[in-house]
Amino acid sequence: MNNMPLPNKVNILSESDNKPSLATLKLDFNLAFNSFELSVKQTIDLTAITGIYGDSGSGKSTLLRVIAGLEQRVTGNLSLNDTVLQSSSDKSVIKPEKRQIGLVFQDSRLFEHLNVYQNLAYGAKRQKSSKLNIEAVLALTQLTSLQHQSVSGLSGGEKQRVAIARALLAEPKLLLLDEPFSALDKTTKSQMLTILKDIQRQLKLPMLYVSHSLSELQYIADQLVMVKAGELSQSLGIHQAIHALNSVADSNPKTSLLLTIAEHLPEYGLTRLSFGMTDESSIYSPLLQNSMSQQTMVQQLPCLIYARDISISITKPEHSSIVNHLPATISKIEYGKTSALVTLTVNEQQFYAQISLWSAKRMALTQALSVYIQFKANAVHTYHYKELVNNA
Amino acid sequence: MTEASADILALITTLKMAAVTTIILLIIGTPLAWYLAKWQSKKKVFFEAIVALPLVLPPTVLGFYLLLAFSPTSLPGQIWQTATGSQLAFSFSAIVIGSVLYSLPFVVQPLQKAFEQLGDQQLEAAAMLGAGPIDRFFSIVFPLTKASFITATALGFAHTVGEFGVVLMIGGNIPGETRVLSIALFDHVEAFNYANAHLLSAGLLIASLVLLSLVYLLGNNYNSKRVKAINS
Repeated sequence: MNNMPLPNKVNILSESDNKPSLATLKLDFNLAFNSFELSVKQTIDLTAITGIYGDSGSGKSTLLRVIAGLEQRVTGNLSLNDTVLQSSSDKSVIKPEKRQIGLVFQDSRLFEHLNVYQNLAYGAKRQKSSKLNIEAVLALTQLTSLQHQSVSGLSGGEKQRVAIARALLAEPKLLLLDEPFSALDKTTKSQMLTILKDIQRQLKLPMLYVSHSLSELQYIADQLVMVKAGELSQSLGIHQAIHALNSVADSNPKTSLLLTIAEHLPEYGLTRLSFGMTDESSIYSPLLQNSMSQQTMVQQLPCLIYARDISISITKPEHSSIVNHLPATISKIEYGKTSALVTLTVNEQQFYAQISLWSAKRMALTQALSVYIQFKANAVHTYHYKELVNNA
Repeated sequence: MTEASADILALITTLKMAAVTTIILLIIGTPLAWYLAKWQSKKKVFFEAIVALPLVLPPTVLGFYLLLAFSPTSLPGQIWQTATGSQLAFSFSAIVIGSVLYSLPFVVQPLQKAFEQLGDQQLEAAAMLGAGPIDRFFSIVFPLTKASFITATALGFAHTVGEFGVVLMIGGNIPGETRVLSIALFDHVEAFNYANAHLLSAGLLIASLVLLSLVYLLGNNYNSKRVKAINS
């Protein structure tokens, strides 16, 4: 890529600022349907994977189609890095096939008359200067053993791997993914998310990932843009963005953490994760390693803990079966109709606990009070894929 | 000229007319079917009706209007005469133009249906992989609608072979130029030459049956292959 390095925006809050921007997407457009209008004026600095979150019907898929050039009635200006994709001043529009943008659809859209290898070759053949070769991408997406199969016989996860591989071989400058794994079961989804993250790291390809699942986005994205009723929010670092959505009115408030794998304890069936330097910043989760003792490299792992799974104790809960207990300070209490959402701080890390209104009153919780939070190892959720597949 | 050699000449004229007509129909029918399949307007109904007209109209009606248009005193006839130096009415070109109009729905309708069923999904995917419109047609649309192209070609050809009214009105009965099998057959019947009439009739019947059977065989094979691939 030949784009100039971009000056870092001064924004202390954004966690993504310390990551280099891989591309800049300038959006300023309007698209009206009968009952719905998508109106966007925003510049997004694309880091590794930018998540686009919103309910169904909020316009997030349409946003991707606009960037891809598949919506013909768009008015306004669009550009990716130095390339103008659409300009209202001279009425120019670059066609989808010339944009060098890849799009992975929710429904794969593989070419039925071609086998796996030929589907991959379709994109590669139409590329002037190819840096990637088909064999390397087959290995990257773990499709080598399936390359001669007909695409109609593939499973859902395999189809999406073919769709991703095919898109990669067209060597896009930006890859758009529209709910690519929403139809898959959780294990396959974990596997696919792990593969996709790995691909992003290896190819340094900026991606826009649309999903209505916050937990999926929490695992894969490093920053988040929210779409609501046809409008976009500013992008925020993923953990900050998820915490910003928390409120007592929300049915599912959660704590979003980036944890480092400290050690595996197979004899106890646990893995120790940490979010700081001290012992008091350790969190135990169910064992994240399979039986074969692979020495996984030190890696960072996004984890979610639902606020309903965290409870608060005034005294240190030493005589409890619950594995995780951490000393915390209450920074905020939000009262709802039946429950209270308590924001707590542990070594500068925020946690959210949802407790009953009755408990909040009975325990006389107040701001700045020192308490203990506790949660089961099972309450730590992650899409970490345990069996590192090696069928390539 | 013997009766038999006259019939062979009529057969050659017929095959030539049907082949030229089918090629022209595929060239103009494919884009026409494409636009009708993709066009999202209520006006489309009117054009679909025009394409379907030859299905319901007596061929002699079409032939009558074409005869008027092709005459050297009318504008299309005059343009043709200045461009080519020969008269359009009662020529091989006239019966080809007439056949193209007459067999249009047999080519356009199966193609239009196939293009509508194909949808835009695969085409959008191909565009995102860098394929332009012409490229997309030959790499995606044609391979996925091959069965319909076979059907359209065979129906267009067979229907042209069997036409009578239009050719009679605008072609006349010039051996080697416009005298086709169906007209030769009519002549035999008029002359009470039933032996030759039988020969031509049975020949046309069997040839049409064989051609149509082949089309359905190819279509079935292709469909069952696709179904098998989808179910596996």
